[in-house]
Amino acid sequence: MASRIRVVLRPVKSIVVRFCPFESNAESTRKFLGCIHHKNIQATNRNCEVTADVRHDGSEPLIDVMFADGERLIMKGANLTTIEMLTALGSRCNAKELKEEQKSKKKSP
Amino acid sequence: MAALSGGVAPWCRGWLPALQFVRRGSKAVTRHWKAMHFQRQKLMAVTEYLAPRPAVPPRCLAPRKETVEEDNGYVQLLRRQVEEVFRDNRMIAVCQFNSMPGEDVVLMRHYLRKHNIEVKFVLNEIIRPVLSQSKYKNLLPLFVARNILLVSRETKVKEMLRVLKGVPQINLLGACIDDTILSRQGVENFAKLPSLEATQGQTVGALALLPSQTSSLLQRGSAHLTALLDQHISRLQAAETGSPAEPAPAQSSEAH
Repeated sequence: MASRIRVVLRPVKSIVVRFCPFESNAESTRKFLGCIHHKNIQATNRNCEVTADVRHDGSEPLIDVMFADGERLIMKGANLTTIEMLTALGSRCNAKELKEEQKSKKKSP
Repeated sequence: MAALSGGVAPWCRGWLPALQFVRRGSKAVTRHWKAMHFQRQKLMAVTEYLAPRPAVPPRCLAPRKETVEEDNGYVQLLRRQVEEVFRDNRMIAVCQFNSMPGEDVVLMRHYLRKHNIEVKFVLNEIIRPVLSQSKYKNLLPLFVARNILLVSRETKVKEMLRVLKGVPQINLLGACIDDTILSRQGVENFAKLPSLEATQGQTVGALALLPSQTSSLLQRGSAHLTALLDQHISRLQAAETGSPAEPAPAQSSEAH
Protein backbone atom coordinates (compact mmCIF):
# COMPACT_ATOMS: atom_id res chain seq x y z
CA MET A 1 0.00 0.00 0.00
CA ALA A 2 1.38 3.36 -0.91
CA SER A 3 0.62 4.77 2.52
CA ARG A 4 3.52 2.70 3.88
CA ILE A 5 5.99 5.02 2.19
CA ARG A 6 6.99 7.55 4.79
CA VAL A 7 7.24 11.06 3.46
CA VAL A 8 8.28 13.80 5.82
CA LEU A 9 6.74 17.00 4.55
CA ARG A 10 8.62 19.37 6.84
CA PRO A 11 10.73 21.02 4.14
CA VAL A 12 7.72 21.40 1.84
CA LYS A 13 5.83 24.68 1.63
CA SER A 14 3.02 23.80 -0.79
CA ILE A 15 1.91 21.11 -3.20
CA VAL A 16 -0.31 21.84 -6.20
CA VAL A 17 -1.79 18.83 -7.97
CA ARG A 18 -3.25 19.60 -11.38
CA PHE A 19 -5.14 16.99 -13.36
CA CYS A 20 -8.01 16.47 -15.75
CA PRO A 21 -10.34 13.79 -14.35
CA PHE A 22 -11.90 12.88 -17.69
CA GLU A 23 -8.50 11.83 -19.06
CA SER A 24 -7.28 8.28 -18.57
CA ASN A 25 -3.73 9.21 -17.56
CA ALA A 26 -4.74 10.94 -14.33
CA GLU A 27 -5.10 7.76 -12.25
CA SER A 28 -1.67 7.75 -10.59
CA THR A 29 -1.86 11.49 -9.90
CA ARG A 30 -5.23 11.11 -8.21
CA LYS A 31 -3.92 8.26 -6.08
CA PHE A 32 -0.91 10.38 -5.18
CA LEU A 33 -3.28 13.12 -4.02
CA GLY A 34 -5.18 10.61 -1.94
CA CYS A 35 -1.98 9.31 -0.33
CA ILE A 36 -0.69 12.82 0.42
CA HIS A 37 -3.84 13.52 2.38
CA HIS A 38 -3.23 10.56 4.67
CA LYS A 39 -3.13 11.54 8.34
CA ASN A 40 0.42 10.18 8.89
CA ILE A 41 1.85 12.34 6.17
CA GLN A 42 -0.27 15.37 6.97
CA ALA A 43 0.78 15.09 10.61
CA THR A 44 4.41 15.72 9.70
CA ASN A 45 3.63 19.25 8.57
CA ARG A 46 0.33 20.98 9.28
CA ASN A 47 1.36 24.13 7.47
CA CYS A 48 1.85 22.46 4.12
CA GLU A 49 -0.91 23.54 1.73
CA VAL A 50 -2.12 20.85 -0.60
CA THR A 51 -4.29 22.22 -3.42
CA ALA A 52 -6.03 20.27 -6.15
CA ASP A 53 -6.57 22.04 -9.47
CA VAL A 54 -9.24 20.22 -11.46
CA ARG A 55 -9.38 21.18 -15.13
CA HIS A 56 -10.99 19.97 -18.31
CA ASP A 57 -8.57 21.15 -20.99
CA GLY A 58 -6.83 17.86 -21.83
CA SER A 59 -3.61 18.98 -20.12
CA GLU A 60 -1.23 16.44 -18.60
CA PRO A 61 -1.44 15.70 -14.91
CA LEU A 62 1.16 17.71 -13.01
CA ILE A 63 2.42 17.84 -9.44
CA ASP A 64 4.17 21.04 -8.43
CA VAL A 65 6.01 20.94 -5.10
CA MET A 66 7.44 24.14 -3.63
CA PHE A 67 10.05 23.63 -0.92
CA ALA A 68 10.74 26.04 1.90
CA ASP A 69 14.21 26.87 0.59
CA GLY A 70 12.82 27.98 -2.78
CA GLU A 71 13.44 24.79 -4.71
CA ARG A 72 10.73 23.49 -6.98
CA LEU A 73 9.95 19.90 -8.01
CA ILE A 74 7.67 19.32 -10.98
CA MET A 75 6.49 15.77 -11.64
CA LYS A 76 4.52 14.97 -14.78
CA GLY A 77 2.34 12.12 -13.72
CA ALA A 78 1.12 10.89 -17.10
CA ASN A 79 3.62 8.01 -17.28
CA LEU A 80 4.68 7.70 -13.64
CA THR A 81 3.24 5.42 -11.00
CA THR A 82 2.08 6.62 -7.60
CA ILE A 83 4.85 4.79 -5.76
CA GLU A 84 7.54 6.28 -7.99
CA MET A 85 6.27 9.77 -7.33
CA LEU A 86 6.00 9.19 -3.59
CA THR A 87 9.52 7.74 -3.35
CA ALA A 88 10.95 10.60 -5.41
CA LEU A 89 9.33 13.18 -3.15
CA GLY A 90 10.27 11.21 -0.03
CA SER A 91 13.93 10.92 -1.00
CA ARG A 92 14.20 14.62 -1.69
CA CYS A 93 12.51 15.51 1.58
CA ASN A 94 14.84 13.18 3.50
CA ALA A 95 17.89 14.70 1.82
CA LYS A 96 16.76 18.17 2.83
CA GLU A 97 16.04 17.05 6.38
CA LEU A 98 19.56 15.62 6.67
CA LYS A 99 21.03 18.86 5.38
CA GLU A 100 19.01 20.83 7.94
CA GLU A 101 20.13 18.56 10.76
CA GLN A 102 23.76 18.88 9.74
CA LYS A 103 23.43 22.65 9.60
CA SER A 104 21.84 22.80 13.03
CA LYS A 105 24.54 20.50 14.44
CA LYS A 106 27.23 22.76 13.02
CA LYS A 107 25.57 25.83 14.51
CA SER A 108 24.89 24.41 17.98
CA PRO A 109 28.41 23.56 19.30
CA MET B 1 26.56 -60.73 16.08
CA ALA B 2 24.86 -63.15 18.32
CA ALA B 3 27.27 -64.95 20.57
CA LEU B 4 26.17 -68.38 21.49
CA SER B 5 26.30 -68.96 25.17
CA GLY B 6 26.11 -72.44 26.36
CA GLY B 7 27.73 -75.51 25.10
CA VAL B 8 26.90 -78.30 22.73
CA ALA B 9 23.14 -78.34 22.44
CA PRO B 10 21.76 -74.88 22.95
CA TRP B 11 18.28 -75.81 21.54
CA CYS B 12 17.89 -78.17 24.47
CA ARG B 13 18.13 -75.34 26.93
CA GLY B 14 15.73 -72.88 25.27
CA TRP B 15 18.22 -70.14 24.84
CA LEU B 16 17.49 -66.47 24.77
CA PRO B 17 19.41 -64.44 22.26
CA ALA B 18 22.04 -62.46 24.02
CA LEU B 19 21.83 -59.49 21.69
CA GLN B 20 18.46 -57.99 21.20
CA PHE B 21 17.74 -55.64 18.35
CA VAL B 22 16.00 -52.99 20.45
CA ARG B 23 18.44 -50.10 20.77
CA ARG B 24 16.53 -47.33 22.42
CA GLY B 25 13.34 -49.00 23.50
CA SER B 26 10.82 -47.08 21.34
CA LYS B 27 7.57 -48.86 20.74
CA ALA B 28 5.62 -49.34 17.53
CA VAL B 29 3.39 -46.27 17.99
CA THR B 30 5.53 -43.23 18.73
CA ARG B 31 5.01 -39.50 18.89
CA HIS B 32 8.01 -38.86 16.69
CA TRP B 33 8.33 -40.00 13.12
CA LYS B 34 9.68 -43.49 12.93
CA ALA B 35 11.03 -45.05 9.77
CA MET B 36 9.10 -48.05 8.54
CA HIS B 37 10.71 -51.44 8.57
CA PHE B 38 12.06 -52.32 5.17
CA GLN B 39 9.63 -55.15 4.67
CA ARG B 40 6.79 -52.88 5.57
CA GLN B 41 8.12 -50.29 3.09
CA LYS B 42 8.08 -52.92 0.36
CA LEU B 43 4.55 -53.96 1.24
CA MET B 44 3.30 -50.37 1.17
CA ALA B 45 4.96 -49.76 -2.20
CA VAL B 46 3.38 -52.83 -3.70
CA THR B 47 -0.10 -52.16 -2.34
CA GLU B 48 -0.19 -48.45 -3.34
CA TYR B 49 -3.48 -47.15 -4.75
CA LEU B 50 -3.64 -46.82 -8.54
CA ALA B 51 -6.50 -44.61 -9.82
CA PRO B 52 -8.68 -46.30 -12.44
CA ARG B 53 -8.17 -44.74 -15.88
CA PRO B 54 -11.34 -43.75 -17.73
CA ALA B 55 -12.24 -45.82 -20.75
CA VAL B 56 -12.42 -42.71 -22.98
CA PRO B 57 -9.66 -40.17 -22.33
CA PRO B 58 -11.20 -36.85 -21.23
CA ARG B 59 -9.73 -34.83 -24.10
CA CYS B 60 -11.82 -36.84 -26.56
CA LEU B 61 -15.06 -35.77 -24.92
CA ALA B 62 -16.81 -32.46 -25.56
CA PRO B 63 -15.41 -29.63 -23.38
CA ARG B 64 -17.45 -28.63 -20.34
CA LYS B 65 -18.97 -25.16 -20.44
CA GLU B 66 -17.54 -23.12 -17.58
CA THR B 67 -20.27 -21.76 -15.35
CA VAL B 68 -20.14 -17.99 -14.95
CA GLU B 69 -19.76 -17.00 -11.31
CA GLU B 70 -22.85 -15.24 -10.06
CA ASP B 71 -22.43 -12.20 -7.85
CA ASN B 72 -23.43 -12.63 -4.32
CA GLY B 73 -26.52 -10.89 -2.99
CA TYR B 74 -24.67 -7.98 -1.41
CA VAL B 75 -23.07 -6.95 -4.69
CA GLN B 76 -26.42 -7.19 -6.44
CA LEU B 77 -28.02 -5.04 -3.77
CA LEU B 78 -25.33 -2.37 -4.11
CA ARG B 79 -25.75 -2.39 -7.88
CA ARG B 80 -29.48 -1.92 -7.56
CA GLN B 81 -28.91 0.97 -5.19
CA VAL B 82 -26.56 2.66 -7.63
CA GLU B 83 -29.07 2.26 -10.47
CA GLU B 84 -31.77 3.74 -8.27
CA VAL B 85 -29.57 6.69 -7.43
CA PHE B 86 -28.96 7.46 -11.06
CA ARG B 87 -32.63 7.09 -11.89
CA ASP B 88 -34.20 9.13 -9.12
CA ASN B 89 -31.92 12.09 -8.70
CA ARG B 90 -31.60 15.12 -10.92
CA MET B 91 -28.18 16.18 -9.72
CA ILE B 92 -25.31 13.73 -9.19
CA ALA B 93 -21.92 15.27 -8.40
CA VAL B 94 -18.78 13.12 -8.36
CA CYS B 95 -16.07 14.17 -5.94
CA GLN B 96 -12.72 12.73 -4.96
CA PHE B 97 -12.63 11.84 -1.28
CA ASN B 98 -9.26 12.22 0.41
CA SER B 99 -9.03 11.05 3.99
CA MET B 100 -10.76 13.39 6.39
CA PRO B 101 -11.22 13.27 10.14
CA GLY B 102 -14.54 11.71 11.10
CA GLU B 103 -16.09 14.78 12.70
CA ASP B 104 -15.47 16.80 9.55
CA VAL B 105 -17.26 14.17 7.51
CA VAL B 106 -20.24 14.27 9.84
CA LEU B 107 -20.36 18.07 9.78
CA MET B 108 -20.18 18.19 6.02
CA ARG B 109 -22.95 15.61 5.70
CA HIS B 110 -25.04 17.68 8.11
CA TYR B 111 -24.63 20.90 6.13
CA LEU B 112 -25.40 19.18 2.86
CA ARG B 113 -28.44 17.43 4.32
CA LYS B 114 -29.89 20.84 5.16
CA HIS B 115 -30.05 21.49 1.42
CA ASN B 116 -31.45 18.02 0.71
CA ILE B 117 -28.15 16.76 -0.71
CA GLU B 118 -27.19 13.20 0.26
CA VAL B 119 -23.64 11.90 0.45
CA LYS B 120 -23.10 8.38 -0.86
CA PHE B 121 -19.86 6.43 -0.66
CA VAL B 122 -19.34 4.26 -3.73
CA LEU B 123 -17.05 1.39 -4.62
CA ASN B 124 -15.46 1.56 -8.03
CA GLU B 125 -15.79 -2.13 -8.82
CA ILE B 126 -19.55 -1.93 -8.38
CA ILE B 127 -20.23 1.31 -10.13
CA ARG B 128 -18.01 0.73 -13.16
CA PRO B 129 -20.01 -2.18 -14.63
CA VAL B 130 -23.28 -0.37 -13.89
CA LEU B 131 -22.17 2.75 -15.73
CA SER B 132 -20.65 0.92 -18.67
CA GLN B 133 -24.04 -0.60 -19.45
CA SER B 134 -26.04 2.58 -18.95
CA LYS B 135 -26.02 5.82 -20.90
CA TYR B 136 -23.48 7.43 -18.53
CA LYS B 137 -20.44 5.86 -20.19
CA ASN B 138 -18.56 9.15 -20.26
CA LEU B 139 -18.49 9.27 -16.49
CA LEU B 140 -16.38 6.08 -16.40
CA PRO B 141 -12.91 7.73 -16.30
CA LEU B 142 -13.93 9.65 -13.19
CA PHE B 143 -14.24 6.53 -11.06
CA VAL B 144 -10.65 5.90 -10.09
CA ALA B 145 -9.37 6.19 -6.50
CA ARG B 146 -11.80 6.95 -3.68
CA ASN B 147 -14.95 8.78 -4.71
CA ILE B 148 -18.18 9.97 -3.23
CA LEU B 149 -21.43 10.98 -4.88
CA LEU B 150 -23.43 14.00 -3.81
CA VAL B 151 -26.96 13.37 -5.02
CA SER B 152 -30.05 15.49 -4.82
CA ARG B 153 -33.48 15.78 -6.41
CA GLU B 154 -33.13 19.54 -6.71
CA THR B 155 -30.25 21.36 -8.32
CA LYS B 156 -28.89 23.53 -5.51
CA VAL B 157 -25.47 23.92 -6.99
CA LYS B 158 -24.55 27.23 -5.35
CA GLU B 159 -25.08 25.91 -1.84
CA MET B 160 -23.18 22.72 -2.64
CA LEU B 161 -20.21 24.68 -3.95
CA ARG B 162 -20.25 26.89 -0.86
CA VAL B 163 -20.08 23.85 1.46
CA LEU B 164 -17.38 22.19 -0.61
CA LYS B 165 -15.28 25.34 -0.56
CA GLY B 166 -15.03 24.98 3.21
CA VAL B 167 -13.80 21.39 2.89
CA PRO B 168 -10.41 21.30 1.15
CA GLN B 169 -10.10 17.52 1.23
CA ILE B 170 -12.99 16.97 -1.19
CA ASN B 171 -12.39 17.88 -4.83
CA LEU B 172 -15.29 18.23 -7.22
CA LEU B 173 -14.49 16.37 -10.42
CA GLY B 174 -17.67 16.63 -12.42
CA ALA B 175 -21.43 16.34 -12.26
CA CYS B 176 -24.40 14.99 -14.14
CA ILE B 177 -27.27 17.47 -13.86
CA ASP B 178 -30.53 16.66 -15.66
CA ASP B 179 -28.77 14.03 -17.78
CA THR B 180 -26.10 16.51 -18.86
CA ILE B 181 -22.50 15.73 -17.98
CA LEU B 182 -20.65 18.83 -16.80
CA SER B 183 -17.04 19.41 -15.84
CA ARG B 184 -16.06 21.43 -12.79
CA GLN B 185 -16.00 24.64 -14.81
CA GLY B 186 -19.41 23.79 -16.22
CA VAL B 187 -20.79 23.32 -12.72
CA GLU B 188 -19.44 26.70 -11.65
CA ASN B 189 -21.03 28.34 -14.70
CA PHE B 190 -24.28 26.54 -13.94
CA ALA B 191 -24.21 27.99 -10.44
CA LYS B 192 -23.87 31.50 -11.83
CA LEU B 193 -26.97 31.14 -14.03
CA PRO B 194 -30.15 32.81 -12.75
CA SER B 195 -32.95 30.61 -11.51
CA LEU B 196 -35.39 28.93 -13.89
CA GLU B 197 -38.29 31.30 -13.10
CA ALA B 198 -36.14 34.37 -13.73
CA THR B 199 -34.92 32.97 -17.05
CA GLN B 200 -38.45 32.10 -18.08
CA GLY B 201 -39.61 35.62 -17.24
CA GLN B 202 -36.73 37.08 -19.24
CA THR B 203 -37.54 34.90 -22.25
CA VAL B 204 -41.22 35.81 -22.13
CA GLY B 205 -40.35 39.47 -21.85
CA ALA B 206 -37.97 39.29 -24.81
CA LEU B 207 -40.54 37.44 -26.93
CA ALA B 208 -43.33 39.83 -25.97
CA LEU B 209 -41.22 42.88 -26.80
CA LEU B 210 -41.38 42.37 -30.56
CA PRO B 211 -45.18 41.95 -30.91
CA SER B 212 -45.70 44.99 -28.70
CA GLN B 213 -43.63 46.98 -31.14
CA THR B 214 -45.46 45.53 -34.19
CA SER B 215 -48.71 47.40 -33.58
CA SER B 216 -46.93 50.73 -33.17
CA LEU B 217 -44.81 49.96 -36.28
CA LEU B 218 -47.87 49.21 -38.40
CA GLN B 219 -49.66 52.30 -37.18
CA ARG B 220 -46.65 54.53 -37.64
CA GLY B 221 -47.32 55.22 -41.32
CA SER B 222 -50.96 56.19 -40.90
CA ALA B 223 -50.18 58.10 -37.69
CA HIS B 224 -47.52 60.09 -39.53
CA LEU B 225 -49.99 60.81 -42.36
CA THR B 226 -52.68 61.96 -39.95
CA ALA B 227 -50.17 64.19 -38.19
CA LEU B 228 -49.09 65.74 -41.47
CA LEU B 229 -52.71 66.26 -42.57
CA ASP B 230 -53.53 67.85 -39.22
CA GLN B 231 -50.64 70.23 -39.64
CA HIS B 232 -51.73 71.00 -43.20
CA ILE B 233 -55.31 71.69 -42.07
CA SER B 234 -54.15 73.96 -39.31
CA ARG B 235 -51.95 75.86 -41.75
CA LEU B 236 -54.83 76.19 -44.22
CA GLN B 237 -57.12 77.40 -41.47
CA ALA B 238 -54.50 79.85 -40.38
CA ALA B 239 -54.17 81.03 -43.98
CA GLU B 240 -57.98 81.36 -44.34
CA THR B 241 -58.31 83.39 -41.19
CA GLY B 242 -55.44 85.52 -42.39
CA SER B 243 -56.85 86.09 -45.93
CA PRO B 244 -60.50 86.95 -44.89
CA ALA B 245 -58.92 89.36 -42.42
CA GLU B 246 -57.07 91.10 -45.31
CA PRO B 247 -59.97 91.42 -47.82
CA ALA B 248 -62.30 92.41 -44.98
CA PRO B 249 -60.22 95.46 -44.08
CA ALA B 250 -59.84 96.01 -47.89
CA GLN B 251 -63.65 95.93 -48.29
CA SER B 252 -64.12 98.10 -45.31
CA SER B 253 -61.54 100.48 -46.69
CA GLU B 254 -63.32 100.39 -50.13
CA ALA B 255 -66.66 100.95 -48.44
CA HIS B 256 -65.25 103.98 -46.76
